[in-house]
Amino acid sequence: MLTSAFYFIAFVTVFFAVMVIAAKNPVHSVLYLVLTFFGISANYIFILDAPFVGIVNIIVYAGAIMVLFLFVIMLMNLNAEAEHRKSNAFLIVGAFAGGSLLLIVVDAIRKVDWKSVSGQESSGGAIGSIKVLGKVLYTDYILPFEVASVLFLVAIVGAVILARKEKLPLTVGQISHPVSES
Amino acid sequence: MNLLISLTALGVVAMFGGILKFRSMVMPLSVLGLIGASLLGVYAWNTNQSFLNDMMRMDNYAIAFSIVCMAGTLLTILFFHFFHSENEIHYAEAVALMLFAVAGCAVMVSFTNLLMLFLGIEILSLSLYVLAGLRKKDLLSNESSLKYFLMGAFSTGFLLFGIALLYGATGSFATTQIAYQLGIAGMNGMAAMGLLLLMIGLLFKVAAVPFQFWTPDVYQGAPTIVTAFMATVGKVAAFAAFLRLFQLCFAPSKEGYQLVIGTVAAITMLAGNIMAIYQSSTKRMLAYSSIAHAGYMLIAVMTLNASSNGSILFYSVAYTLASISSFLIVMVVQQNRNNDTADDFNGLGKTNPWIAFALAVSMLSLSGIPATAGFFGKFYVFSSAVSDGFIWVVAVAVISSFISIYYYFRPVIAAYSKQTHDPVMTMPAGTQALLILLSLLTILLGILPGFIAGII
Amino acid sequence: MNLSGVLIPFVPLLGFIINGLGFPKVSKRWAAWIGCGSVFISFLIASVLFIQSLTGSFESTTISLFDWIVAGNINVGFSFFIDHLTLIMLMIVTGVGFLIHVYSVGYMHDDEGFGKFFSYMNLFIFFMLVLVMGANFVMMFIGWEGVGLCSYLLIGFWWKNREYSAAANKAFIMNRIGDLGFILGIFLMFITFGSSDFDKVFAGSSAFATNDHVMVAITLLLFIGAIGKSAQIPLYTWLPDAMAGPTPVSALIHAATMVTAGVYMVARSNILYSIAPISLEVVTVVGLATAVLSALIAITQSDIKKVLAYSTVSQLGYMFVAEGSSAYSSGIFHLMTHAFFKALLFLGAGSVIHALHHEQNLRKMGGLRKLLPVTFITMFAATLAISGFPPFAGFFSKDEILVATYEKSPAVFWILAATSVLTAAYMFRLLFLTFYGEYRGGHHQHEHIHESPRVMTVPLMILAVLSTLGGFLGLPALFGDTHWLSHYLEPVFAANTRLTEHSESSLLEIMIVVLTVIVIAVIWWWCNEKYVKKKVAPAIVEDQLPLWYKLSYNKFYVDEIYDRVIIKPLEWMGDFFYGKFEANVIDGAVNGLGRMTVWLSGQLRKIQTGNIGFYVLSMVIGIVLLLIYGLSKMNLF
Repeated sequence: MLTSAFYFIAFVTVFFAVMVIAAKNPVHSVLYLVLTFFGISANYIFILDAPFVGIVNIIVYAGAIMVLFLFVIMLMNLNAEAEHRKSNAFLIVGAFAGGSLLLIVVDAIRKVDWKSVSGQESSGGAIGSIKVLGKVLYTDYILPFEVASVLFLVAIVGAVILARKEKLPLTVGQISHPVSES
Repeated sequence: MNLLISLTALGVVAMFGGILKFRSMVMPLSVLGLIGASLLGVYAWNTNQSFLNDMMRMDNYAIAFSIVCMAGTLLTILFFHFFHSENEIHYAEAVALMLFAVAGCAVMVSFTNLLMLFLGIEILSLSLYVLAGLRKKDLLSNESSLKYFLMGAFSTGFLLFGIALLYGATGSFATTQIAYQLGIAGMNGMAAMGLLLLMIGLLFKVAAVPFQFWTPDVYQGAPTIVTAFMATVGKVAAFAAFLRLFQLCFAPSKEGYQLVIGTVAAITMLAGNIMAIYQSSTKRMLAYSSIAHAGYMLIAVMTLNASSNGSILFYSVAYTLASISSFLIVMVVQQNRNNDTADDFNGLGKTNPWIAFALAVSMLSLSGIPATAGFFGKFYVFSSAVSDGFIWVVAVAVISSFISIYYYFRPVIAAYSKQTHDPVMTMPAGTQALLILLSLLTILLGILPGFIAGII
Repeated sequence: MNLSGVLIPFVPLLGFIINGLGFPKVSKRWAAWIGCGSVFISFLIASVLFIQSLTGSFESTTISLFDWIVAGNINVGFSFFIDHLTLIMLMIVTGVGFLIHVYSVGYMHDDEGFGKFFSYMNLFIFFMLVLVMGANFVMMFIGWEGVGLCSYLLIGFWWKNREYSAAANKAFIMNRIGDLGFILGIFLMFITFGSSDFDKVFAGSSAFATNDHVMVAITLLLFIGAIGKSAQIPLYTWLPDAMAGPTPVSALIHAATMVTAGVYMVARSNILYSIAPISLEVVTVVGLATAVLSALIAITQSDIKKVLAYSTVSQLGYMFVAEGSSAYSSGIFHLMTHAFFKALLFLGAGSVIHALHHEQNLRKMGGLRKLLPVTFITMFAATLAISGFPPFAGFFSKDEILVATYEKSPAVFWILAATSVLTAAYMFRLLFLTFYGEYRGGHHQHEHIHESPRVMTVPLMILAVLSTLGGFLGLPALFGDTHWLSHYLEPVFAANTRLTEHSESSLLEIMIVVLTVIVIAVIWWWCNEKYVKKKVAPAIVEDQLPLWYKLSYNKFYVDEIYDRVIIKPLEWMGDFFYGKFEANVIDGAVNGLGRMTVWLSGQLRKIQTGNIGFYVLSMVIGIVLLLIYGLSKMNLF
């Protein structure tokens, strides 16, 4: 039962992921991506017994980030015609390269003798619950958790730099640029 | 740990320096803070302490590389201060980003858990993405930032995929646990795939062929000081992390992938050096040169023996010294002569003898001529490879070193044997003194390499 | 306790840095103070250590500063080694060096490059101290190269004169030949012992059988280095030419210290040499031949410094003969006394040259006894010392060598004794030509001749005292004491199990004393007849000379032979390879390779299109290839 449910969800997810690339219209692409995230979240919630991660995934990715994406695309007025056409040769080579990458990865993992793989933490029902997650995050993984905050701080500073207005002429390269910027 | 905390706090202080308007304090505080953090590192020498459920370990390796990265950052911040006014709009934020970046480096070189490795790499990379785009009204700088970001995100995908597969194969992020599990179960397909994908991610970060594509565009477009920062601190940290990961996790099974890294190293050295020849812009030439140096350093990662740590540390120091000063000289030339082709170095020996001296020393060191630090850097790396029987890699390395002499000497020859009517170059106060200091250090290490080589 | 010993070489280095960087801004006065003072400080530290060693509170130590070259199994430490032999050398180098520095203040007074001169001299002292203090052969080699460099710089100090530059080049090149041997010896040492540290090499060598091929090879290669540095046959011709440098340089570098480096090196490696008696034979033969040949040349030279230069070569031969006869401490003893009296002779000659406004031709001197009384008396003492007149310093050191050789081989003894007679002859000839008879230069000059200033004469007097009394450090049994110096040096040679004991014969001693006195009396009389009673021609006509005189005067045509046999063919080969071979073959190949690389660069450059889509595609292809390669290497594909 669980296995067939997984295959169904996985199929839907992969299908939408392919559609993200295949869709001509960027807005459609984004919407397919939202659906892909839903598929992944469904996997977390129903198969992997990790409802918290699943919900966070929907809130953060499908909710916040994707809406931002949509805004940007709409503001820039991108549509099907705006897409840069790639040559067919490029597409074929790309598909071939990507396909072989997929095959290699799948092949390598497929051959693994799963009995020899040890050390898997037993996934008792509670592994994905908020309680367990919180406990692990604030005990064992407190350092990565805190270091991640530095990462966000960097992102914030970066956003500030990128967003602030600058009254300077547009240039190409630094060669003929004045020494001091301000 | 104290080192990491103080670096992060320093970044926060610098950030607030911009908001709360004490910009003039940012540089002195950063310099003092970096020196202080280095002293904390020295104080922790030989303690070999691991922190918080073995997430990171401040062993001598970590401390040594942290100090190298901090020294590089210190120099970068000083030069940044020389060339940019405090009143510039992003002055404090840029310094803050450099400090955060070096905090990321400290995490990268001290991790004992793959999560920390990933976080460290991301902190460093994210800071660099933004720093590359610091000149917001410069299209090349924008392009540089965007390209770096896109390619970096692409490679991060592989890194994460690799970590995930390794977790799948061993059930842990901890390096000790991974090494232990791999020791028991041996290499299976999933672990090998994880290893290779991690390797690919890291090869991207160190800009090895065929993952070097971003380097020339990014290095050329970014503000020169940021380029110097990326090429030295960023690269050193990436290599330290690369080597640490493989020493901690994968050393016993090195026969399997040594040749892969060796091949990449050989191609990287050759391609980097050959492509550098054709460049007219010295800055772009240095970008290719940094690709080639990644190839040399990969040799030490490939040999992965007891002497690898020491040799890559020495190489890092030598490379950092020479590279920072050569980028800085390029910057001075760019600002004075409006371009950076070899012809723009004409007559530098007459107009600015000290700058020409620093140029000559750094170029000699980069090409690995004896009596400079670069020679012993290469010597240590090559000799450990030879002792492990990788003679063909060293042969390629030596040939490519010969090729490199051709382009490294071009600006030096121009500086000394050609004439110019251009006026004496001007530069902010302190630049020249710092450049001379770097040259003297390069020569000192070329004469007395024992100071650093045997330290870890 | 011996950490202060580390300072000994670095104080002169500091002097070099200050004077070198400061030139020409530092005034001459300060340059002199810094130059002399730094050497004097080293001398004081060395003296303290020396006194400690006398009172017994000294132990030979190795001071490791840091690991210098670490590569694989090879570890070369930047470390110093101080034992009794080092201390003796330190005392000579810093003591005599200091006196010569002081003398130079007067001698170089009017030179433009005053500060530069002192910086070079200090640098020389630094390298010389590294040479004698190094705790391994690599350190010794660094000093060895360094003193060579300083010698080059100082010989060519007046570089505007092309001939002087040529002399400097000659010295440099001939030394390189020797150094090649030395460095090969060190390599062989690394291969054999895995180290070049004195303790490891000497300890490891005991496992080898007498005349083991490897040991013979190592010692001979090292000796080739000594041949170059200490100017022995066949690489001695650079030393007379090196007299182009300022006279204090000749005194310091080309008489007292640098040229004795080879002697020191052999004494230091005495254990290695004792294992290889074949090499000792070679050392004896080369030393003996050099001693005779150069003494024969010295007897007819008319340039005062050339006479002394050949005399130096000859005396160095003496020292090597001593060492070749396993009398290492006698070699060092003679090295020491020679440093005193030869430095004095050179400085005295310098004083004469200074007084005569750079006239060096003996035939244009004469009668200077009254005009330069201090110079005369001190040089007289030195002449007696070098001639081996008892009880001057040279007598005792030569006496030890002669006794040692007599045991080994009477033939060597007699040849060496004959050389001593020659030594006395050319030295008294020099003395008489310079100081006795009548002045043969121009009248105009005569009026301007005056004794050198105090700063030059005081070092002369001190050295004269040392030349007179220095021999008492090694009194033979006949005269009461028993070889203080060789007892002092005993710890150095204690580890050498293959040294033969020297016995002493009073009869031989008495014979030597009597013979020496008689020979010198005869030479005195003969010189008086020849140079005082008869007139000396200011110039000689070569065609009228007897054959032996012509041979000697032209230095046995050795330079000409080298020119014909070595230099000309080399030039021809060079022309051939440059003109024909290089232009067509090498250039073609190199240019072709270069063009190919540039072409390749142009092609490869095109892959950097700037198009991100293309970059990603290439990277994916790269990743696929890398994964296939990696997985197949790990047998998982």
